This record gives sequence, C-alpha cells and structure tokens, in this order.
Amino acid sequence: MQILTIVLQIAILLAIVLLHVAYATYFERKIIGHMQVRLGPMMVGYHGLLQPIADGIKSFFKEDIVPEQADRPLFLFAPVICLVTMLTSLAVIPFAKGWVLADINIGLLFIFAMSSLASYGVILAGWASNSKYTFLGGLRSMAQVISYELPLGLSLVGVMMLSGSLNLTTIVDSQGSSFSSMYLFPQLIGFFVFFVAMLAETNRVPFDLPEAETELVSGYITEYSGMRYALFFMAEYIGMMVMSSIGTICFLGGWNGPFEVPFFPPFWFILKVYGFLFLFIWIRATLPRYRYDQLMALGWKLLLPLALLNIFLTGLFKILVH
Amino acid sequence: MSGLYLPKEYLAILLFIVLGVGFGVVTLWIGQFFRMKRPYFEKLVAYESGNPPTDEPRMRFSVKFYLIAILFIVFDVEAIYLYSWALVYDKLGMFALVEMFIFIALLLVGYFYGWKKGALQWEK
Amino acid sequence: MTNKIIEKIQTAFPESITHYTEFRGEMTVEVNPTHWHDVALLLRDDEELEFNLLVDVYGTDRLKLPQSPRFAVNYELYSIPKNQFLRVIVATPDPAPSNSNTPLPEIQTVTDIWPTANWLERETYDLMGLNFSGHPYLHRIMMPDNWVGHPLRKDYPLGGEPVNFEHDRDHPRFAHLGKPVMVGPSFLTDLPPEMDTEKHMVVNFGPHHPATHGVLRLAVELDGEKIVRVSPETGYLHSGFEKTGENKRYEKFIPYCDRLDYLSPMNNNLAYVLTVEKLLEVDIPEHVQMVRVILAELQRIASHLAWLGTHVMDVSGMIHTLVMYTFQMRERILDLFEMVCGARMTTSYFSVGGLRWPLPGAFQDGVKSFLAELAGQLKDYHDMLTRNPVWLSRTQGIGYLPADTAIALGITGPMLRGAGVPLDLRKVRPYCGYDQFYFDVPTSTTADCYGRYLVRMEEMRQSMSIVEQAIAKLKPGPYRTADRKVALPPRPEISTSMESLIHHFKLVTEGYRPPVGQVYQVSENPKGWLGFGLISDGTAIPHRLRVRGPSFVNLQATDPMSRGGFIADLITNIGSIDIVLGEVDR
Repeated sequence: MQILTIVLQIAILLAIVLLHVAYATYFERKIIGHMQVRLGPMMVGYHGLLQPIADGIKSFFKEDIVPEQADRPLFLFAPVICLVTMLTSLAVIPFAKGWVLADINIGLLFIFAMSSLASYGVILAGWASNSKYTFLGGLRSMAQVISYELPLGLSLVGVMMLSGSLNLTTIVDSQGSSFSSMYLFPQLIGFFVFFVAMLAETNRVPFDLPEAETELVSGYITEYSGMRYALFFMAEYIGMMVMSSIGTICFLGGWNGPFEVPFFPPFWFILKVYGFLFLFIWIRATLPRYRYDQLMALGWKLLLPLALLNIFLTGLFKILVH
Repeated sequence: MSGLYLPKEYLAILLFIVLGVGFGVVTLWIGQFFRMKRPYFEKLVAYESGNPPTDEPRMRFSVKFYLIAILFIVFDVEAIYLYSWALVYDKLGMFALVEMFIFIALLLVGYFYGWKKGALQWEK
Repeated sequence: MTNKIIEKIQTAFPESITHYTEFRGEMTVEVNPTHWHDVALLLRDDEELEFNLLVDVYGTDRLKLPQSPRFAVNYELYSIPKNQFLRVIVATPDPAPSNSNTPLPEIQTVTDIWPTANWLERETYDLMGLNFSGHPYLHRIMMPDNWVGHPLRKDYPLGGEPVNFEHDRDHPRFAHLGKPVMVGPSFLTDLPPEMDTEKHMVVNFGPHHPATHGVLRLAVELDGEKIVRVSPETGYLHSGFEKTGENKRYEKFIPYCDRLDYLSPMNNNLAYVLTVEKLLEVDIPEHVQMVRVILAELQRIASHLAWLGTHVMDVSGMIHTLVMYTFQMRERILDLFEMVCGARMTTSYFSVGGLRWPLPGAFQDGVKSFLAELAGQLKDYHDMLTRNPVWLSRTQGIGYLPADTAIALGITGPMLRGAGVPLDLRKVRPYCGYDQFYFDVPTSTTADCYGRYLVRMEEMRQSMSIVEQAIAKLKPGPYRTADRKVALPPRPEISTSMESLIHHFKLVTEGYRPPVGQVYQVSENPKGWLGFGLISDGTAIPHRLRVRGPSFVNLQATDPMSRGGFIADLITNIGSIDIVLGEVDR
C-alpha cells in the first residue's frame, strides 16, 4: 500500500515536472523572442501555447536513426541514463514544507552524486556515437563537468556550515522566513561561485561548449534524432530546474516568501525557480560563448580559490559571532 | 516487514529510479511502433559535415584530459572531507577551523605547484 | 613611372620584355616566360618598383584571337607604397604534342614570391589547364578532383556534354531507394599530403556545418583541441561565372554580379559597370555618380551589419540577440533597395552608362530617417560588445595576421586595414566620384579579430557620413549617359526621332561593341578588392571575363591565422575574414 502511494506520488511529480520542462522551452523561446524584437512561437494554439506539445508529438514520431558504426546498446541507453539521473534528483527536493518525496539527510550529497552520474550519459553518448564531433563533445563535456563540480560542491560548503545539515528541508528551515535571513547575503561569494558553476554544470551559455553548435555542430548529441534527442533535451532542462531548485533552497530561502499563499505552499519556490530560469535564458540571449581553455581556466583558477576563500571567511565569521 | 530495515525515503528514490528508467524505455519502446523507419546508407553513416568520414574517430586524445581528471580526484576527495567537517563545525569551533586550514593549506601547496607547472594551463 | 619600370626591367634583363602597351591608362608589359621569375622578383624587391601586392592571376585562352601562342597568364600587380598598377602578361609556349595526350603548357610559379599566387595559380590550373612548375600543391580547387578537362578553355563544350559524376543511379549504394535519385558530384576526401592522420585527428568542418557560412569545407588537423593545420577546400558552389560571362553580352552579365557576393550586390554591380564603362570610355553624369555612391555605401553598411550579426553568432550561440538587431537594420536598407529597384538582394540596379530607372522621390527622406536610426543602433552594438569581457577574451589576440603576411597573401579590405595598412581604393584611387567626400580610413594596429571588428564598426560610421554628404550633394539630373551607343534613349524620343529608334533597335538586338583591348578594374568592396578583368575582341561578347573575388583570396589567410589556436578560434577567424561562398567559388 505504501509503495503504491509512493508510486502515485512519483507519477504525479513526473507528470508535473515534464509539463514544466515542456513549458520551460516555450518560456525560453518566448522570452528570447521578445528580447530580440520578434514574437517567438505564435502558430500552434493561442500565442503558440501548444507549441511544446506539438514539439513533443513531433519528436515522438520522428525516425530514430542509429548510426551503423555506433556502439548500439550504449548508444540506445545513454539518453535514458541522462534523463533518469536528472529525474531522480527531483526526489529529494522539497517544494514546500513537507512536500518532498524522500526527505533524506544527505540531500545535497545525493544531488551532487546524481548530477555526476548524468555526465556518464553524456560521455557514453559521445563515445558510442563513434563520430568525431560527438567524441570531441563528449571529451569536452567530461572535463567541463568534473572541473565545475568542484567549485559547485565547495560553494555550498558555506551553506552547510551555516545550517549544519545536508538535509534540504533543514537548510530551508535554518534560513528562517524573513527576507534578510536568506543565505544569499552571508554567502554572497558562495552564491556567485555557485551560479557560475551551475551554468557550466548544466552546459548553458556562456559555457555550452559540449554542444557548441558553431564548433562541434551539436556536440555529443550530433548523432541523435527523434525521441532520443528529446530525452537529452528533457534531461538538460530538468537539470536546469534541479540546479535552480538547489539555488533557491540554499540561498534564497526555499518556499518561504513575504506571505504564505493559501492552498498552494510551493508558490514562492516555483516563482524563485522560474526567476533562475529567466536568468539562464537572459544570459543565453546576451553573452558570447567562452572558449574551452578559458572555461577551464575560469573554473580552476578563479572559482576554486574563491570557493575556498568563502569557506575560510564563513568559518572565521562563525567563530567571531560565537 | 519482518525486521528488514527499509527506510521509506530510500524506497522512494529506488522507485523513482525504476519509474524513470521505465518512462525512458517505455516511451522509446512504444514509439518504435509508430515512428517511421527508412534507413539508408547516407542516414546511417557518421556525420562529418557531409563528407564520408575520413578515419576512425576514436583517436588518442590530449593528455590534458587525464591531468584534469587527476586534479579532480585530488580535490574531490578534499571536498568530501570538507562536507563532513562543515556539518560538525559548530561543535568543534576554533580547533576545527585551524585543523581544516592546515589541511587545505597542504592541498593549496600542491595546487599552486600544479598552477606553476602549467597543469591548469591548456596551452604550453 | 611607366618608362622607369620598363627601363628597370630592360637594364636588368635585356630582351625580357617582348611587348609594351598602354590602354585606358593601364600599363601592360609582356614578359618572356624564361625571364618571368627573375622579373617578378625584381618587380617585388626593387626599391623604386615595390610591387608588393599581387592582385590577380588569370589565364587567357587566345584560341580565336590573332595572338600566339594560345595561352597566356595575366598578372595584375599593385604597389602599395607607389600606388601603381601594372599588368604583366606571360605567354606560355605551346607544348609539343606527344603521341597520345597533349601535356599542359608550363610556366614557372610565383608562389615563392607572392604567396597569394598559391590559390590563384591553382584556379588557373584547374579552369584553364596551365601547369605551374614548382607550385607546392597544384591541385584542382574549383572542380572535383576527378573532373576531365578545363572548363575555361575556348574549345571546352558548352553544355550537353556528359557530366562526370562519381556514382550513377545504378550504383549499389542507392539500390535501397528503389527509385532514381539525383546524384550530385561526389568530392573525394583526400587531404593535403602534409596532414598527419596517424598522429592527429583530422576533422572535416563543412560543407554541412553551421559555422562555415555556406558550403565551405575545412579539413582541420587537430591535436586535442588545438589546430595543427587547416586546409580550406572550395568549389562546392562553383557555377562558372566567368564562363557564363564569356558567352553573354556585356550588359547581360550584370544580374550575375548580384550572385557573386550576395550580401553586397550593389557594390558588385558598381564594380562591373565601372569596368565596362572604362572599356567603353563613357562619361557618367554627376547625378548618377552620387546615386551610385549612396547605394554602394548603404550596401557596405548592410554587408557589415550582416557580418557583425553572423560573426557574433559564430562566437556565441545561435541565439544571440545581436543577430536579430543587425538583421533588422539590414532589412531597413533592403527596404530602401526595394523602393529603388523592386529587388532586395539581387538588385541589378546599375546599368552600363547610368542607372536602370530614375531614383524614386521618397528615397532621400527614407535614407535620412534610416541613418538617424542606425546611429543609435550602432551605439547599442558597441555597448553590447566593445567592452564585453567575454567578447574581448574571444577576439583579442585571436587570428593574428600582421601586415607583411597579409600583403604577401594578397589580403585586401578591412582585413588589411585591421593589420594597420590604410589601403582603401576609395582614397588612393578614387572612382565614381569618391574624391568629393570627406571620410577617414579606419585602421587598427592590433591585427587580430578585435582590431578587425573595430575597423568594420568604424567603417559603418564612415559610410554613414559619406551617404549623408552624398545626399546633401544629390541634385536632380539625367539618370543615364547621353551616349546613345551605350544607353537606351528616353522612351518619348523613340516616337519622334528616327535616329533614336535605330539606336534603340541596335542596342537591344546587338548591344555595343567595345574597342579591342584589355581592362582590369578593382573596386573597394565591403570584403576587399573586387576585381573585374575584361578582354574585348571587338565583338559584343567579352572574349575573357575575369572575376577576382576578395573572399576567395582572403580565405587563404585561414591557415596562417588559425595555426596553434583552438577549434573555437578557427570559427572566429572564418567569421572575421568575412567570406561569402558565392564569391569564393564563383
């Protein structure tokens, strides 16, 4: 019985998240469109509202091309790995007080673990496709993801020190509900490092080198088509949402807001997550892309020392306050 | 459940993984009954900007990638220590701070050595 | 000057000059093939000559002309310090026909003297069938490697010949399709011999690649992420403009010009029209010159706007906002063109001796309001990029091309000015009344992609200033020359004057017949020097039409610019060269 309840909860969560993913693409296209003085999707439904559905149906019916020279099992399974790892991260995210599937005490660690596993999907896709562009894209992606995982992890150590926990609900609770008690303010350096590393970890502009279309055509997903390609796409957007959620939980006070919204506690949480998504999109429309070596240098030479400095300052601060 | 400890939280995660895999696999599996299938030579050949591929793509790659991997392992282990340290920091106080910074300083020596040696520099 | 050149050559190598002519102010020296290499060295290195820029190399097939031997190679030289053009013609002796196949006529290469000759000689070899001995990599550049024959030769069949495709529809490769398919010529993927496929990865960028600006193929030898060598392969868009031009009347080639550099058709039209007018010696009314300048400069702005947008797109993602902004402004220019001639891209507005139609009345106000808007937009572009740290890190120090290398490679236009050489034909050799305007020639000493970016941004401002001045100077006047041998008479005159009717009839049915002679005219296009060469045999059809596409010559700089850089820099460099494949492949 208990299992059935969980399954039902998961199914509902999955449906909601996938709908959000679909509409995140719509959101992105509309926002970028208006930033560029054009309209974005307009034809399918009122103001293109059904466009994501149409895209989903289209990719579902598209031919699934498996290159002859590809490593077939790996090629077929790589997108699923990407998707599953990203999806599973959702299990530990508290959307509101008590709105969490698995309230485990190592929530943050679990999310790091899952996002590391996602890079397996990317590397396997690049390797299994057996084409030069995907191979280069896979290599790039591997190096990029592991380089930025360090600053990403270290940037949150300050938050862990302040809250004394890895449990995401506890982290939110320890921030309190007032605006000024958000960890954003004591952890400004940490937030900066986290934000930059988050962009790199999710392969977004200006760090979208694994799939830099003007260089590597489409990076590790070059050989994919149809639904398999769509799965990678979903994984990327879920990744964006998971990262935005962590940012919201660790720095922006989670579901707490100026007042409580009746019947829908996750209101502020979702608003904050969409704020992050908007930043992702805004940056995409504005910034040129870094070059590969510059990206690595930024991660290793700037963000890593900054994250360590942040830990040191936080430690010092805590000692002084006590 | 006959004394078997099964934390509800981890059960949820396990189920999530199963359902996630199920979602991916089932969508792809069902899709194959609907989607068109018309493969031919040009479609199945590896993409190389419209040219027949010139040689084997799986070549040996730059040693830089290995260096990055090694550096990553060093610092990732450090990060794991830092996590557990951060959680109990309140209880340990000043002692923990000094201790950890000796640990980090040792690592930083290696870090700056690597920097000087050009391990963080892509071009040499 | 003229005689000094002759004297210099004569004293150094007596009997090297076989013939000397001057036609329409152009000097032509015919040099003995045996002395050619030495003469070339002298021309480049002598302190009083200094012909450091080889503008063009092209062959002529004089099969139906009275001259012999049959083939000759034309070298168009320019001396930047002396501001002097010179044409050298080297006739290649006909080879003795051996038993089975005739060997190609042979001539010594000048690639070691002017490196830019590399591709130009390859093109001559490919299309005209002349063998350049000592050339480092004499290989077909336009036609597929397995092509038979040399299309620009006068005895090459004009259509109807069997086309040499690699596979026909019976090939087993297409069996699964079950129905006939169109099979394109398949290019061999052989690589230049110096590429090391054992040690490094060789990746093909293009022809189907998002960042090669069309169907360009770059074979890139990679060591990890770093570029060891780049070999651009062109010809995917080759459509034989020169051959087409040699079978059309002079006037009829104008619409083809639009398709050369399709981002700047007005400039192409202008360059071609000027060449024909030079050959015909037509006087152009003041009004026409002003209109031509306005449209050419607007086109330059449009071309630079398209460049800016696509360059930013290359450097960043496909979804960069600036692309949309610049293309929106470009649309405004295209709207103006549409108002003028009904076409947006393939304008064909200039005709020999004037304009095709008179300028519409609302044009001037349209231009003025556009310029006011563009000034604000340009500021926005600067705000978005000029001090953007990511943009700086991606362009500063990238694609370094110093002045001496650039000149040796025959680079012209913003590329050369970006290396600090203030060479602008509108300044040094004013044509079409450009001497009446005040404008600066922006240069940059950094010689990198950022410097070229600044140069082009400033050029847009200068062009705006020229357009403003020209609008102020624009007075109503005839839109065609009064020379009835070249331009059609006004419609009402035909009903009243018999002479006009005859002129009209002759022009429409036969066209004009320029005097026998050879001219070569270069103009400052947005991308560099666009050169048109015409050889007239006295008929209404040019005997030889030569197009020097600036993109084609500038593309040679890809390899020196990109070596040692990253893949990402290669894309930046290609964008910075600003190529249009229609012009590269012609």
